[in-house]
Amino acid sequence: MLKIGRTAAAAVLAASALVLAACGGSGDPGGGSSSGPRTLTLWHYEGADSAMGKAWAQAIKEFETSHPGVTVKFEEKGFEQIQKTAGMVLNSDEAPDVMEYNKGNATAGLLSKQGLLTDLSDEAAKRGWDKLLSPSLQTTARYDDRGIMGSGKWFGIPNYAEYVMVYYNKDAFKKQGIEVPTTFDEFTTALDKFAKAGITPIATGGAEYPAQQIMYLLALSKANRAWVDGFQQYKGKVDFHGPEFTYGAQTFADWVKKGYISKDSAGIKAEDMGVSFIGGKFPIMISGSWWYGRFQEQIKDFDWGSFLWPGGTMAPGSSGNLWVVPEKAKNKDLAYDFIDITMKKDIQNLLGNSGGLPVAADPGAITDPKSKELVENFNKLSAQDGLAFYPDWPAPGYYDVLVAGVQELINGSKTPEQVLDEIAGPYDDNLADIGN
Amino acid sequence: MSAERPVRAPGRWAVLAALALLAVVMLSPFLIVTLNAFKSPAEYSSGGPLSLPKGLYLDGIIDFWNRVDFGEKLWNSLLISGAVAIGAVVLSVLNAYALGIGRVRGRLWILVLFLVANTLPQESLVYPLYYLSKQVGLYDSKLAVILIFTVIQAAFGTYLLSSVLGQFPREILEAASIDGAGKWRALSRIVVPISRPTLSVLLIFFFIWTWNEFFLPLIFLISNDNQTVPVALGVLQGEKMMDATMSSASALLGIVPAVAFFLIFQRTLTRGVTVGAIK
Repeated sequence: MLKIGRTAAAAVLAASALVLAACGGSGDPGGGSSSGPRTLTLWHYEGADSAMGKAWAQAIKEFETSHPGVTVKFEEKGFEQIQKTAGMVLNSDEAPDVMEYNKGNATAGLLSKQGLLTDLSDEAAKRGWDKLLSPSLQTTARYDDRGIMGSGKWFGIPNYAEYVMVYYNKDAFKKQGIEVPTTFDEFTTALDKFAKAGITPIATGGAEYPAQQIMYLLALSKANRAWVDGFQQYKGKVDFHGPEFTYGAQTFADWVKKGYISKDSAGIKAEDMGVSFIGGKFPIMISGSWWYGRFQEQIKDFDWGSFLWPGGTMAPGSSGNLWVVPEKAKNKDLAYDFIDITMKKDIQNLLGNSGGLPVAADPGAITDPKSKELVENFNKLSAQDGLAFYPDWPAPGYYDVLVAGVQELINGSKTPEQVLDEIAGPYDDNLADIGN
Repeated sequence: MSAERPVRAPGRWAVLAALALLAVVMLSPFLIVTLNAFKSPAEYSSGGPLSLPKGLYLDGIIDFWNRVDFGEKLWNSLLISGAVAIGAVVLSVLNAYALGIGRVRGRLWILVLFLVANTLPQESLVYPLYYLSKQVGLYDSKLAVILIFTVIQAAFGTYLLSSVLGQFPREILEAASIDGAGKWRALSRIVVPISRPTLSVLLIFFFIWTWNEFFLPLIFLISNDNQTVPVALGVLQGEKMMDATMSSASALLGIVPAVAFFLIFQRTLTRGVTVGAIK
């Protein structure tokens, strides 16, 4: 009795496992070999309504037209999922043929070091991608053997760019009789006028990236390219108590004291900062080009514009995220073709006209006046070699260190000197870790 | 009894007030989510999260549904959670029968082992499970997630059921064995029917817990057509951007099935609890 029962139970379990296996096996990784119809598996995490989403959807259409018999299997991914699982997916047979991935040492650099990304150097030279991308955009596309950006092989191809600028509310400026500032003095005079009128001029968020980018901008106004290379690419020692960071931290703290930046902004998130600017609560917002498309769509109640940071020739900015081809991709030739299409003029122009910042567009083809302003300002910044990357890049986990430091500046709980000591520590530790 | 009432009244009012306050605190996030789910992005941007929507804006919900193919995600979640709930209950009953009633040698240590397994954080399981599933070719399949969660939930189920079955009235089992019932018959005809309320509570809990799992499905369900509801909700989290209204719409869609499931089985839940209490 007992024996029969056991066998029966085992049979039931085995049968149910078979049923489950049948449901589980439905995920076909896509046609691998060259025989029969082929599939290009493509992943990215840009929203369908964003400039990149629109341009890349068009690129998929063009790819399918120029590659009859190939279907594109596009999957929209969440940013978080790619961040958490990229290393594991790319090390398995489920790796896509081409995917969007974050630029930087801790992301694309790390994967390249682990041998999970295909070296694109030959393709970049053959297809002329290296000619289309300016040197500062190339920085984030190339990684050396240690996975540090700036030199070495090509592991990614950026398709768009980004930079930090000053957004302003034209109506609010007009009301106070303020002209668009062209020098740093004019800019601070404008801030002062708003503050005297009882308006906090700058919308920012201390809980996320915006506030640290303002401090970095201020530091950049006393810096040159060699300092940026030293800070970002470890070419030379950075003195956190040197004139650059001292000026940045000190001026930031002064701006809080003078009421240019709200004392309550320490707990504000980037999203809330953006919403408060769209709602017309602040006349100025200093942040990145990633807001541009949204502002074009959602600001209806007032006239707005943007200008380059008047305090210096450099601003935070870089290439956007990268197209990478996993080492285990099964259709690398198709992946290269797809990347090539996204670099073509018509796709790049579409990206530009949708509120994005193309890297290889035809300036004359950007017809939308607001988009034109964005692209022209970027070209100016790029021409003066002004892309200074982001302050949180140099060390893993540095983002949180900077958030904490800048929050202390906003709250006034620590002096600029103490904050600089605090942010110097993790930076120097990281230098020791990578053996510099 | 009636004489006692006025004395207790102030205390009762205080409890009622505290409960009402707690309910408001608990419900306010849901309220805000619902509020924003029916707002257009422009309304959200100009009015902020707390303003009332001017009209019913359904595009956020419809767009999200189409964007992630929500019907497919619902089916995936249902399949995975259902299979796990049934599998884990069956496994728990078999284990607990051996441990609680069968009195296997060293059962205390086995139970301690299960308890320890329960306290393991899922993060520490990720890499071993990833390599195992890759070896057997189950990476990126629903079956991998079903197997993993069946074991995880059954670990808890075994622990709980073993102590419940440890209290099982011996006389009934002895009477059955005198009547000639073997071990299997005793399990299927006596132990399972009598502990059915407890088992159905376990079933419901396993279902809801598995439904809400995010981390391991995120790691193991790579293809979009394998993904579950919580993983699909993550699509809206951009790098620097978040779409507050569509996120609210998706959150609403994500909560509704769990709430519906709870409402349907609420009676089973309360019955299970009370039957256990009477015994």
